[in-house]
Amino acid sequence: MVDVELRAKRDALEYLWRQGLSGQPLLHKHSRLIDDYLVACFANCPEAGEGMSLVALGGYGRRELFPYSDIDLLLLHAPEAEDRLDPVTQALFYPLWDAGLEVGHGVRTLDACLADARQDFFFQVALLDARHLAGSQPLFSSMHQAFHRELIAGHRREFLQNMMQHRNERHQRYGMHGYQLEPHIKESRGGFRDIQAMLWVSHALFNLQDLQSIEEAGLISSQEKESFGQAWDFLIKIRNRLHYLSGRKNDQLFFEYQEEMAKAFRYSNTRGTLGVERFMQDIYRHLQTIATTTDLFFEHVDETLGSPRANPVEQTIEPGITVRQDRLHLTDQALIEKRPYLLMRLFAHAGKTGLEIHHRSRKIVAANLHLVDDRLRHSKRMAKAFLDVLENARNVLEVLSVMLDTGLLTAYLPEFEQIRALAQHDVYHVFTVDRHLLQTVAELKKLSLNKTPFAGVESPHVLALAALLHDIGKGHHEDHAQRGGKLVAGIAKRLGLTEAETACLQFLVEKHLFLTVTALRRDLEDDAFIRQCAEQIQTPERLTMLYLLSIADAKATGPTAWTEWKSALLLEISLKIAHLLERKDATLPDKSQGAGWMLAQVRALMGKAAPADCTILPEEYLLSFPPEEVAHHLRLRAGLQHEKQAITEAGDHTLFWSVLVMAHDSTGLLAKICGTLALHGLNVVSAQIFTWEDGTAVDVLNVRPAAEQSYAEQDWRALDEDLNLALKNRLGLSHRLVDKFRTAFRSPGQKNVQAAPRVVIDNKASEQYTIIEVFANDRPGLLYDITRTLADFEINIHRARISSDGDQVVDVFYTLDSFATKINNPSFQEEISKALLHIAENETGTGTKLQW
Amino acid sequence: MKKIEAIIKPFKLDEVKDALNEMGIKGMTISEVKGYGRQKGHKEIYRGAEYIVDFIPKVKIEIIVEAAMVDAVVTKIRETANTGKIGDGKIFVLPVEEVIRVRTGETGKEAI
Repeated sequence: MVDVELRAKRDALEYLWRQGLSGQPLLHKHSRLIDDYLVACFANCPEAGEGMSLVALGGYGRRELFPYSDIDLLLLHAPEAEDRLDPVTQALFYPLWDAGLEVGHGVRTLDACLADARQDFFFQVALLDARHLAGSQPLFSSMHQAFHRELIAGHRREFLQNMMQHRNERHQRYGMHGYQLEPHIKESRGGFRDIQAMLWVSHALFNLQDLQSIEEAGLISSQEKESFGQAWDFLIKIRNRLHYLSGRKNDQLFFEYQEEMAKAFRYSNTRGTLGVERFMQDIYRHLQTIATTTDLFFEHVDETLGSPRANPVEQTIEPGITVRQDRLHLTDQALIEKRPYLLMRLFAHAGKTGLEIHHRSRKIVAANLHLVDDRLRHSKRMAKAFLDVLENARNVLEVLSVMLDTGLLTAYLPEFEQIRALAQHDVYHVFTVDRHLLQTVAELKKLSLNKTPFAGVESPHVLALAALLHDIGKGHHEDHAQRGGKLVAGIAKRLGLTEAETACLQFLVEKHLFLTVTALRRDLEDDAFIRQCAEQIQTPERLTMLYLLSIADAKATGPTAWTEWKSALLLEISLKIAHLLERKDATLPDKSQGAGWMLAQVRALMGKAAPADCTILPEEYLLSFPPEEVAHHLRLRAGLQHEKQAITEAGDHTLFWSVLVMAHDSTGLLAKICGTLALHGLNVVSAQIFTWEDGTAVDVLNVRPAAEQSYAEQDWRALDEDLNLALKNRLGLSHRLVDKFRTAFRSPGQKNVQAAPRVVIDNKASEQYTIIEVFANDRPGLLYDITRTLADFEINIHRARISSDGDQVVDVFYTLDSFATKINNPSFQEEISKALLHIAENETGTGTKLQW
Repeated sequence: MKKIEAIIKPFKLDEVKDALNEMGIKGMTISEVKGYGRQKGHKEIYRGAEYIVDFIPKVKIEIIVEAAMVDAVVTKIRETANTGKIGDGKIFVLPVEEVIRVRTGETGKEAI
């Protein structure tokens, strides 16, 4: 039986492979084996011969027969030979099937061939590789000539376009790059199909049959040819083994096979990296070589042959860089050598304009990488252009991918080399580390366009850098986030980042997993833990950056890494931390350390100057200020000479100003302070009010100017003078305020839709105080009116929180009545409520009826 | 044979898994699930904007054990996953008619 013989021969082939025969020789040997068998079959079949020709097609035609590849055959026949076909096909194809081979077969006349080839581009391409095996040579030759005459000559542009279209569709279907968890080494980008596409086009359009002649024709450079050839050889070996390993025609490097393959190719584990990861890294790099080379090849050929593009006007956008036919070009080699930062400027322009970089210019970039030396890596111009790409590029993923593929990115940031094409051998990380990083930058960009609770970052370039570099420490046995933190410090320095920016970048890289890991592994209801998180993160700005980075990182990892489920957890922890960070007192001294500790700190600070009566400081007060400030207040107290005197001190905190007022406490003090501030055009945004046991009031009011005004322009001395006058009862605050705001009051017709004012008197929330809450619509002088009303009732305000949110104000007062007890009498409570409500509802203020 | 389904807080997963491993239970199915229960989703206000999470993220663990093991396993999960706060989760015990291992065709106890 012939099929037994065939099977034996193929087994022998596998034996040879086990002995080390691989690469091209194995493919050729396999092809010859099948050739010999078919030729013999054809010769032994009495009906075969006259008017028939056996033709090998496709990969078999090219003598590239992988262990389980399809054997594509065409039995070409003259119309007269029709009657004799049955026995011939039986003799040829049946044994192949019986031997378990995949056979693609066709039985056609010459005319049918041409007709089919016109219809079916794949068949047309298969015919390009047609090789005569047996039977009538003249019949084969006439088919061959007719094919080239009728389908190729004069259809070169069409052929090219078809090929490019199929190539694009294939890339879409199998992924835009080979950097996937399980690359398909035949169909994905950079796989065998890309190699063949280039060879087919060279063959059909220019009659160039191999790499050598393609290089000689100037379509690829000699370096390209060399690395392309190496990649090709490597992939052939991989595919041979993959077929034997899978025991079938399988061209996808499934996760399950990767480790065994790596072992077979003698990649062993080292400290920090797995053999399989380095094996996959090599595969990805070879796939990339082929992808890049074929991309450039197709662009080149398309330009040579394709229809001229619109917009033929050449436009120079800066010396050495022009736009021609919607592509960016580097035009001046001498200038590049003089100003090597032009290499990066090219990418900045690509980002800004959204235009592609012409393939020849990409080659120029690759050929000039030796110019990227240490000096250039420290160049400000270079850094500016680079950060411009990161922050502003419209199509940041494409621009960065080209930067990576040309080698510029690794030349500029040598730290990138370690992680280039580095695979992570798990099913979670779908992309190699470098692609993942580029993807993260792109995801971040998309996020910033969407509305999230955490948006609006002050230094977006730092965040974008963090996205690009957060995994830079991978591929090493150390903890990658820690190692990354060290590496980015060096990068930040070269890029000329400020110290604060560097610290922030380092923080983001070191902590990039913090939120995600914490959200999943820790109890979010544990307040002490949330507090620790807040202490680590320190500012709302950093939290925002970390939150955005966490999402972008997860989205760029793979389809399973980012789900609504995880998003909910991440949002929860972030909001919890955010609320804590936004509360001012959260950053103030640790309450657990207690008032006693604070007092000791103050005493240590002041030394001998510490007053003996330090114990007059209430606990609540001590816990609200850092020791330095407490010491400062104690020193200021010495300056308070008599009853009706106030000491004021202003401070600039960028977002708000603070006014410290120290005076002897008296009923109505706060009203006078608020009135004077309002008179000086200052709106109180929050207030902390304390009274020491010796009767010294220490009030810190955070204010914002009502009008556009700088801190320096504000007349602080006049404020001090007026407050002192008011304390001496020499300043009529009510009428002055009415005068001042007469024009500022809204006329009744202009009212916004507002919530109804409300007054809540609560004796339960605090053991010591009656808490009075006033919800009102904000207006100038409102706080003065409220505090004055409370003073009229002889109510002492011990603490206050004043918060305004848009037009709505919530003022919370901790109060005691004139006997220093809680306000318990219901009718008195109601009286206070009504009075305050009257103030809150009064749109014009100060109780005085205004004459308009 | 019984199937034990436990819905727990995500951060308790590692602890529960370890505790079960110690008892000799190595195989389990774990999934991320969304809970819509008594502990309703919540609305957060941050910088003036509202964010609504309408479900609570939970983890579901599914284990098949012999009937004799049920009490021990349930107690272990309950002890480990308990924080004493609302939303600690629930444990369900369901009867299982048959277990078949796909690869070998083994059934019953052997297939667990």
